Amino acid sequence: MSNYGSDFLATYGFLIVSMLLGAMLGLSLYLPLMAGQLSLASPGFYALGGYIAAILSTKVFPSTGATFSIPLLLLEMVIAGAVSGALGVLVGVPALRLRGIYLAIATIAFVEILRVLALNLEITGGAVGIFGIPQPFQTPLGYLWIVVPLLLLSMFFVYRLENIRIGRALIAIREDELAADAMGINPTYYKVLAFTLGAILAGVVGAVSAHFINTWNARQGTFDASIIYLTFVLIGGSRTVAGPVLGGMVFTALPEVLRAIADTPNLPLWLASFLRDGRLIIFGLLIVIGTIFFPQGLVTPDLFKRRDRTKKMMPTGARK
Amino acid sequence: MKKFSAYTSSLLVTGALFLGACSPNSNNTATNNTTNTTTSSTGTPISIGIAVAQTSNVALLGQEQVAGAKIAEKYFNEKGGINGTPIKLVFQDTAGDEAGAINAFQTLITRDKVVGIVGPTLSQQAFGADPVADRAKVPVLGPSNTAKGVPQIGDYVARVSAPVAVVAPNAVKAALKLNPGIKKVAVFYAQNDAFSKSETETFQQTVKDQNLDLITVQKFQTTDTDFQTQVTNTLNLKPELVIISGLAADGGNLVRQLRELGYKGAIIGGNGLNTSNIFPVCKALCDGILIAQAYSPEHPGEVNAAFRKAYQAQYKKEPPQFSAQAFAGVQVFVEALQKMGDKAKPNPGAIAELRTALNQEILRGQYATPLGEIAFTPEGEVVQKEFYVAQIKMEGDRDSGKFVFLK
Repeated sequence: MSNYGSDFLATYGFLIVSMLLGAMLGLSLYLPLMAGQLSLASPGFYALGGYIAAILSTKVFPSTGATFSIPLLLLEMVIAGAVSGALGVLVGVPALRLRGIYLAIATIAFVEILRVLALNLEITGGAVGIFGIPQPFQTPLGYLWIVVPLLLLSMFFVYRLENIRIGRALIAIREDELAADAMGINPTYYKVLAFTLGAILAGVVGAVSAHFINTWNARQGTFDASIIYLTFVLIGGSRTVAGPVLGGMVFTALPEVLRAIADTPNLPLWLASFLRDGRLIIFGLLIVIGTIFFPQGLVTPDLFKRRDRTKKMMPTGARK
Repeated sequence: MKKFSAYTSSLLVTGALFLGACSPNSNNTATNNTTNTTTSSTGTPISIGIAVAQTSNVALLGQEQVAGAKIAEKYFNEKGGINGTPIKLVFQDTAGDEAGAINAFQTLITRDKVVGIVGPTLSQQAFGADPVADRAKVPVLGPSNTAKGVPQIGDYVARVSAPVAVVAPNAVKAALKLNPGIKKVAVFYAQNDAFSKSETETFQQTVKDQNLDLITVQKFQTTDTDFQTQVTNTLNLKPELVIISGLAADGGNLVRQLRELGYKGAIIGGNGLNTSNIFPVCKALCDGILIAQAYSPEHPGEVNAAFRKAYQAQYKKEPPQFSAQAFAGVQVFVEALQKMGDKAKPNPGAIAELRTALNQEILRGQYATPLGEIAFTPEGEVVQKEFYVAQIKMEGDRDSGKFVFLK
């Protein structure tokens, strides 16, 4: 049995860590959404963070031992976060004057600019990208030491943020920007703040991911990725912290889970091959069904509200 | 509200069921394996993993590889497998990205307990997934990874696909042979494609080595459909040879626009144009494109004859290079296992030793594959003797044509 357990972890270790990384990318999109800003810039910062880590670990920090030193990895994460944050402010101030779909388009353009830069610069390796990135851990599961604390920290941070004055201001802007402005909230300040926090998180996740998938190239963090991250948030739930986290985990795992189901013994051949080759069709279908039946996502604030109510036997209707 | 949360919770439960489904399933396969091996040791097939792209935008290439591998499985099992033990190919789809390739490799290594893996399709995927196999000490044979640096990933990584630096120059030499007067060369490449980027560097180096004038280098994207600007700029410089590194759709359109705007000279296509999928794109205008090949269906030899016959019987056309390379990948595993004799018997306890011994055996051997005689350098780079150049011949203005191999 223990053998089976370790086999399971070895097979799905990569997937488990990917799920947690997906959850954090969902959160990085959720942060600007807290202020009602539909920004698709996260993949750009994710790619940027990855390039920073890839370049630093292959060219700057000499790797002597068999494994890459973990303090250096943490340092890369800090640098990636700082650079992404600074760029977030620079991009955020002009871009966040736009609203709704216009902001989405501007942020897509930003991601494209970074991608074209990565394709043309010498240091990013052009289309081939950077490979041979040293590993801090022997197995994918080792990354849990970095990823689990990072996820818990960012979840706690976002959860707390929602319940302090800044978070309240963000939610006020989301609900009605004009009214919030009239109440003395500075919308530009808070919108840029939320955008920058999302950028920092995406950059840090990118730095870990570059080591995690061994190679980094311009196909990481493209427009397609923006749409997938948006799916994480919209289907998972765009109104609570748990939504993007759950969405990120479920939708990262789904193609792989379908692969595993397809390999179940004694399944009819047509069903198995549909599950195996049509994984992405099923994935797309679930997104369509999800948006029709769960327009607010799977995890809605009502879920928590109802639980609170049954616990305390009193309504908390004043919350909204 | 109540109805809404009922919806939500039911979906969550379904999600949990989905997630749960992977554990009993892998448990089943594990027990299946052990019961099989204890009851009969001769009947248990030896598993070889095939991790190529069966979905996503590289699926066209991956499906050609699946076809080649399946023909190899049938062919070698009919010939008695590995000293009486049949082989079994385990297919896992890598899709087109690195994460997909790593997941497929992990599943093959730990759950399916394969002795080695043929895959993945793209060089970029190889940079992501091959280190995983290398750390797990599982031999990998790249069937179509032609970028620089792949065999250098680790001791357990080798490839049967000759690197682009070896294959591409042949096309330039063939063009000069057909038309020795060529002097002015224009180069086009798809800037966002890793393969085209490294291929064009080889082409440009070859142009310099042959003392030709490189008059212009034009970039495009694999998603482009309009090449008017690049073509007009180039035609003003009066090129006598145009070299294109791109993929089928963009490369085909580029050829079409070059011809429509009046270019009459020779055209060389890179490996990305090396597929019959290009025919419908440029139709009659494809005629005459030269493409270097690592495989020719007309290669003499017993294995290639059998492979070609099996492929034609099933698909009613000549086998493409990608199928031949996947076949060769499986063949290298089979012949190396055959040479190991009794050591190759499936034994779940000793799979690690088997994989290591197999890796050493692979690098030692010589193989008569459909690609011709191949062997490996100690690093895992393929040593291939023969290369070919084909010219596209179209049938009028229809979608059909063929690759005619130049002598």
